[in-house]
Amino acid sequence: MKIFYILIFSVLTLVSGEEYHVDKSAKNEVKFISDAPIENFEGVTDQIDGYLYHEDDSLTTKSQLYFEVNLNTLDTGIGLRNRHMRDNYLHTDKYPTTYYKGKIIKAEKIDADSINVISEGTIFIHGVEKPIKVKAKMFHKEDRYHIHCNFNVKLSDFNIEIPSIMFYKINENMDLQLDFYIKLFKKN
Amino acid sequence: MKTSLIIFVLIVWTIPLFAQDISWKPEESMATGPVNLFHSTIAVNLPTAETLKQNEFEYEISHRFIKTVDANKAYFGIDGPATIRMALSYAITNDLMITYGRSNQDDNIDFRVKYKAYQFAHKTFPLLIALQAGGAWNTEVYEPITNEARDLTDTKNFQYYGQAIFNTMIVNKVGIGMVPSYLYNSHIYSDDPEYSFTMGGYIQYYLSAMFSFYVETNATVTGWRQDYNPIAIGIEIETGGHFFKIFVGNSHVMNPSQYLAGGDLNIKDGEWRLGFDITRILKFW
Repeated sequence: MKIFYILIFSVLTLVSGEEYHVDKSAKNEVKFISDAPIENFEGVTDQIDGYLYHEDDSLTTKSQLYFEVNLNTLDTGIGLRNRHMRDNYLHTDKYPTTYYKGKIIKAEKIDADSINVISEGTIFIHGVEKPIKVKAKMFHKEDRYHIHCNFNVKLSDFNIEIPSIMFYKINENMDLQLDFYIKLFKKN
Repeated sequence: MKTSLIIFVLIVWTIPLFAQDISWKPEESMATGPVNLFHSTIAVNLPTAETLKQNEFEYEISHRFIKTVDANKAYFGIDGPATIRMALSYAITNDLMITYGRSNQDDNIDFRVKYKAYQFAHKTFPLLIALQAGGAWNTEVYEPITNEARDLTDTKNFQYYGQAIFNTMIVNKVGIGMVPSYLYNSHIYSDDPEYSFTMGGYIQYYLSAMFSFYVETNATVTGWRQDYNPIAIGIEIETGGHFFKIFVGNSHVMNPSQYLAGGDLNIKDGEWRLGFDITRILKFW
């Protein structure tokens, strides 16, 4: 009977996954950057939420991830331009969040604490969902991962009108830079 | 032993079904940004309830051409002369900003404080309420009859005002503002201090992200008023942190203590003059 319990415990230990949630107490930052004549356009928020789930150390087994960004809090650096951005371009009344959901398909250890990962999934912006692959770097420290990634989206792919600054249109390829932390979620 | 084995197999078989039961749930109430209705901190002369963001500066230069648009050989009045105002604002917090301005009309120096007191985020009727208070010092005043320069520190050179600013936005396109104002010593040439209680209002229609039209007026309810209630009609062009406002109106003054006291042209006689406001938001850190 003892052997039975040991077996059960071992199997449970082996298959139970780890779930990480965005650590909201950390210094998270999501940046939307586009080149524009005279001055770059930049929108910043710390309002990112979501999770990463996996079932072994490789990060790829049964991997699931979902991260969303609250666009209502996007700060363009000029307060009075924020509403303009929310109402006229992102239409946050209809689409308050942008999200990326998918899974990690490749994880490669660089050293003891750093991992290069490639994820595959879909990104949702402004009512449009598109498939995308994202490369990221994950730095493991105790029960947290620090995640850094950047990738490019084309505004016209998501039916977003190209904003103007000083009569010049900004670059329609927008660079998204994410720098945030996830923390191991412990079920009670 | 056989029963235990069956249980074991069943457990192993069912584990994957539960293993990916994600605990994360989206937050029910999502953080919202501040309510921003009008894009600019001023309509034409009257304030909106908007404030700058903390540590932002705003520079303003405004002109009111004295000659009317139909004046002979004055190129719609642009040949001048003009009343000129320059001002610099700074936001101490996201809800509190101060402005120091100067106009060449009586060399009026203006200092004001605006506080965004209340915001109500609502899809149909959002509301912003701000309070503004300020004082003005007229530093170059000549007595009307004797033409003698008045003493700088003469109490009659000082004016004070307070304003409540109510803003809303309907159908996400039409901004509406109401600005009841009280001005103390509205007539600086009067022997006894005069006051003016006025009800200002403006409507701004946002045609696109860049262009909007507006009309602004300020009616004197009680107290002293110059010849007419001021009115201005124009267009606003917004590009990044710049606002260009071009309009026609019947007042040639801009500083609040002067504008609240009324306009000098009768629009019923077709008397209009050109004016513009240019503001630029600056952020250094």
